[in-house]
Amino acid sequence: MSNMEETQEQNDRPDGIRAEEEAAESDAIPGESEVAEDDRKPRDERDQVTEDVEKDDARKIVTGEARYTADYRDRFPELAEGKVIRSDIAHGYVRDIDTSEAEAMDGVYAVITPWDDAVPDKAYSSSGQSYPEPSPWDMRVLRKHVRYVGDPVAAVAAADTETADRAARKVDIEYEERDPVLDPEAATEPDAPQLFDSDEVENAQHGADYERNLESHFEGEIGDVERAFDSADDERVIETEWETPYQSHCVPEPHTTIAHTDEDDRYNFITATQVPFHTRRQIAHLFDVPIRDVRVTKPRIGAGFGAKQEMAIEPIAFALHRAADKPVKLEMTRREEFFALRFRHPMQMRMRTAVDDDGTIEAMDLYTLSNSGAYGTHGMTVANNVGTKPLPLYPRVPNVRFEGDVVHTNLPMGAAMRGYGAPQGHFAVEAHMDEVARRLDLDPVEFRERNAVREGDVDRSVAILKDGDRFARKIRSCGLRECIERGKEAIGYDDLDQPSEDHLHRGVGMALIAQGSGVAGRELGAAQIQMNEDGSFHLQVGGVDTGTGSDTMFSQVAAEVLGCDPEDIVVISSDTDLTPFDYGAYASSTTYISGQAVKEAAEDARERLLHWGSKMLDEPVETLVARDGEVYSQESGERVSLKEIGYEATYGHDEREHILGKGSHSTDESPPPYGAQFVDVTVDEETGEYEINEMAFAADCGVAINPALVEGQIEGGEHMSLEYATSGGLEFDEEGNPEVLGFRQYGMPRTTDHPPMETIIVETHEPTGPFGAKSIAELPTNGVPPALSNAIRDAVGVRVNSLPITAEKIRKALDVE
Amino acid sequence: MQIELELNGHQRTFDVSKSDVLLDVLRRNGYTGPKRGCDTGACGMCTVQIDGEPAMSCVTPVTKAADASVETIEGLGKQDDLHPIQEAFVDNSALQCGFCIPGMIMRSKALLEENPDPTETEVREALADNLCRCTGYKKIVEAVLDAADRMDGNAALATDGGTDVPDCVGSTCSCEEGNSL
Repeated sequence: MSNMEETQEQNDRPDGIRAEEEAAESDAIPGESEVAEDDRKPRDERDQVTEDVEKDDARKIVTGEARYTADYRDRFPELAEGKVIRSDIAHGYVRDIDTSEAEAMDGVYAVITPWDDAVPDKAYSSSGQSYPEPSPWDMRVLRKHVRYVGDPVAAVAAADTETADRAARKVDIEYEERDPVLDPEAATEPDAPQLFDSDEVENAQHGADYERNLESHFEGEIGDVERAFDSADDERVIETEWETPYQSHCVPEPHTTIAHTDEDDRYNFITATQVPFHTRRQIAHLFDVPIRDVRVTKPRIGAGFGAKQEMAIEPIAFALHRAADKPVKLEMTRREEFFALRFRHPMQMRMRTAVDDDGTIEAMDLYTLSNSGAYGTHGMTVANNVGTKPLPLYPRVPNVRFEGDVVHTNLPMGAAMRGYGAPQGHFAVEAHMDEVARRLDLDPVEFRERNAVREGDVDRSVAILKDGDRFARKIRSCGLRECIERGKEAIGYDDLDQPSEDHLHRGVGMALIAQGSGVAGRELGAAQIQMNEDGSFHLQVGGVDTGTGSDTMFSQVAAEVLGCDPEDIVVISSDTDLTPFDYGAYASSTTYISGQAVKEAAEDARERLLHWGSKMLDEPVETLVARDGEVYSQESGERVSLKEIGYEATYGHDEREHILGKGSHSTDESPPPYGAQFVDVTVDEETGEYEINEMAFAADCGVAINPALVEGQIEGGEHMSLEYATSGGLEFDEEGNPEVLGFRQYGMPRTTDHPPMETIIVETHEPTGPFGAKSIAELPTNGVPPALSNAIRDAVGVRVNSLPITAEKIRKALDVE
Repeated sequence: MQIELELNGHQRTFDVSKSDVLLDVLRRNGYTGPKRGCDTGACGMCTVQIDGEPAMSCVTPVTKAADASVETIEGLGKQDDLHPIQEAFVDNSALQCGFCIPGMIMRSKALLEENPDPTETEVREALADNLCRCTGYKKIVEAVLDAADRMDGNAALATDGGTDVPDCVGSTCSCEEGNSL
């Protein structure tokens, strides 16, 4: 079976399809094609790669000089502050809005409603995805039909925040209420309240049925799963069920945007976004203005984690700006972040496997029911990843089925969040695999090692929802077994001391993990590099640094190619006026896709650099190398500095040239990084209370360009994963009102909640990535829930199959025993 | 109304309204190092020091800062002359998006002034009101312990008497605050 991404792909491709993409359209598995160039370098030949280069914004961050969107307010003396007025009912229709009192207030510049001319009456998707967005176009800037508590209904622009807040409270909204539906299973019943009419949504996803509140249904199969289960020994068929809650991104910097029009009548956005180019296109389409008249700039950003892979507030800021005729800043509050913005989708999953007598998995069957909430942004694609990320851990299983339903309810909308379905999927798959091993009396680690992916495997499960084999892949790098070995050693897997108290039990659990490196066949990154006279370079790159340090990584990749120091490269990134195109920072694509574009740009520039070196040294190009700030001949030892080349190329007597390079990278490949998460836990069998003694994470991300930054990604990803396993979650009353509105209620882990963490980087070489790199950003968000559930099973013999894992759930399970 | 306070070593007068919180007054007047993370004193991203004590400026009425000595991140080192805590954060890669870092550093500074040689547990307890979403706290805790060593080293050097202590490295040095604005 196929989902609609395939058909869209056929529709939206530009005419000039490149030859390599053409070739990939055939049935050949991309992994079987030849890899262009082997850039493998032993450790001692790397100058800037695998180095802990200082993050290029570190000094301005520690001095407080780094400027985030809200810090630009002093550039706009006329700046108005925006405030959004949100629905306080979960389901109904706006019948009347009285804005008169608010409009009469001093310092109020504009009050906008869904009926205002400044507000486009058009459906769109807020998802920051490629065009046309696979997510349904089901959303409007301001909403007459409200579908959750938090839906934006009106907005105010005023002289200052206090006035805007006061004016917002004076706007009187009259609703006609409808019954809400809060439970995803109930939402598909025939008599359930319906959120959408099918004719008000453009939904190209597979299997939508709005009469049943179904945003999407999808399924795919490899082999013959039913036959495999039928012929299997009943004792060796195991089925389990799993449930995960909402998770908040807890972005440090709330969503913030400044919208203004400059002296050239162009529309400017300074905005906290992961997707400047998608936002530019989406604003242009929604407001019917030319793409060339929109500029989106991302300054420093207080992280994204997927919450900002969304055009969540820019349209409201822009509509307010046009209505008020003043620059407008719209800054979300933490409260709004907790009930009105974006979240990780809650899910219910079912997993079934058949295992033969020697411990080989014969069949896997995974089903997920995803609660999309009120709108469909990233609904189907996140649910797709519940299967297509963890199932490829076991690519040799001959019979695999994966099926899912994505359902609307009158609750906040799920969206992209770091891991993108993989954290839910890994909880189901990796806790299930552990349970299977224990019930069949197999060692959980050996059972995994027998079945898990190896280098050279051909993985079709990643493409289980697609037609044909275009996106099946050959695994060219896999350090999973070394991850397991080193993780075991770090956690003391084979040598666990039990506590002396009888009621305390210690256990250890492991989960295997995989992610991707970009969206296969749906990425584009580009870069340009230009040389200055003094031998330094300017690098313009579309890739978006959300705080990860990718700007620094780019400078290392370019410097490795050009033979200079990373500090000699000025990185200008993610400004739609100044840099080449990029899809944005999501799907773990920045190092693998944008980094490769930077490498190609640098190689292009190096070609010209060596041409000038050859001319100045009177040596053949083939003998020349760029390294240590020079071009030198490996034969004669003659050398010329980059600075001499820069001046000569720019100001030479006979010939002049601006040394430039460009790179534009796109691929059908998405090699998985791998990891092994270990958790060591002590459980009190009397109370169910538990304490995590230690966590260890071993990651294979190919070659780590900047190991310190990679460790930072691992430790931060584990933090989110720890939260998902142990705390967090949102609660609502029976009318759909949110009950968790701040950090304290939510329970984001603090310094004192963190166990010791050991971080291990296992190097492999991925031949399709820049200098052997794959990705790291999302991988470590997937492991703690299954590893903790497995550790508790190891310690006290009971299985907790829903998150967060609480003392109460453990005690209940122990009572049942 | 107007209030007077000592900000990073300078006497300053600000126009404020009685209901203002300190964070708004600071940010309105160009001190954008302290960040707005929650408005409820739950995340620590707005942390400054008032008379040496760490304070969440988003829930501190500005009137409470009247006539007090307020220190913000802007009062510490400059990019080419970092305070040892700032240096330790940079050298330990203890930052990613950076939004929590000014508050983290001010909280760490208050800790190290009170307890120059903390244990890891003491660091974790002192930083428990400051949230970070990017780092998992590991490198931050390591940075604060490293900063304690670095500051200890400087203090030892100073008491030793013999060698010149580099300018503006001690957390109590007031001259750096004077030239950093």
